[in-house]
Amino acid sequence: MANIAKVAEALGYTVVTMKDPERNVSGGYTGDLLSDVMGHAEEDELLITIQGHKNTAAVASLLSLTAIILCNGREALQDMIESAEMEGIAILQTQETQYQASIRLDGVLKALR
Amino acid sequence: MRFSIDLHNHSCLSPCADDDFYPSILALEAKDKGIDILALCDHNSTENIIAFKEACDLVGITGIYGMEITTIEEVHLLSLFETVEAALDFSEIITESLLKIENNVRLFGHQHIVNVNCDITGEVDYLLYGPSTYSFEYLIGLILSYDGLAIPAHIDRPSNSALANLGFLPTAPYSAIEMIHLDRTYLDGPYPVVQGSDAHTLTHVGRRRTFIEGLRPDFSTLRCALEAHNVSYLT
Repeated sequence: MANIAKVAEALGYTVVTMKDPERNVSGGYTGDLLSDVMGHAEEDELLITIQGHKNTAAVASLLSLTAIILCNGREALQDMIESAEMEGIAILQTQETQYQASIRLDGVLKALR
Repeated sequence: MRFSIDLHNHSCLSPCADDDFYPSILALEAKDKGIDILALCDHNSTENIIAFKEACDLVGITGIYGMEITTIEEVHLLSLFETVEAALDFSEIITESLLKIENNVRLFGHQHIVNVNCDITGEVDYLLYGPSTYSFEYLIGLILSYDGLAIPAHIDRPSNSALANLGFLPTAPYSAIEMIHLDRTYLDGPYPVVQGSDAHTLTHVGRRRTFIEGLRPDFSTLRCALEAHNVSYLT
């Protein structure tokens, strides 16, 4: 089973925070509308998005997501990082687009299985 | 005469605002900071506007009543009304249209309904984060048809704004547009630009404001000033 530390290493993205490296990764959900994410993302998934603010961390925590991947070089705001650390949610950052990150994650998860 | 207006403020009803940021505290602080016309627009709810009106009347400031609506595109849109009755009437339509997810207080914060004495009288149990099932452009028309002011909020913010979420500012009969940073492109454009505090805590009150010219600090003066682009800013 893939944990977030292994997935992050394989992706090679910048790790903004990762308080709980053992957390399981079951898959991913890609979306920027948080109301849509709330309705569709599932436990232990990674959220691939450009929304680098505190509400994204809150939504991730609500759904027990493992991590958030911020794409297109988007920076996480300080209050998002603090919130994610408190909730044990990892934040990764990349210059890649959501499309590229989704494909990369799929490949990494298949390889780690 | 020149009047100081601040059309974007929250209270403890908004999950992201401080729990002790009561409508009465907002009105008192705004009066202290020299605001003449002050709006309360919590996220997707008008539950605190009655307390806000009573507080405005007590401190001698002109209240404007409304909501910051989350559209289906998750754009924030200010809807502002002259009277509590008009705002309550309009808010029924929005409340019915909201995607209602149970609030998780630990993650999002309390959504307290309070009275003018700052007593908690209730709490909204679904998350006021939104969104409504109505679109941005539909809501503009709907607000105007209820004689309200329709003002896209913080259009230059990187999230929950027309520019960030839609990619551009659609042509529409806005009463004004709100900006955090004044930008010449928009100041020279077809819509009057206003700056509001978007206060979520006491220290935010009055941090941004706009000035209008008129005879009385009331809703009609505000409407006329916006229509005439008769607005100025802190320099």
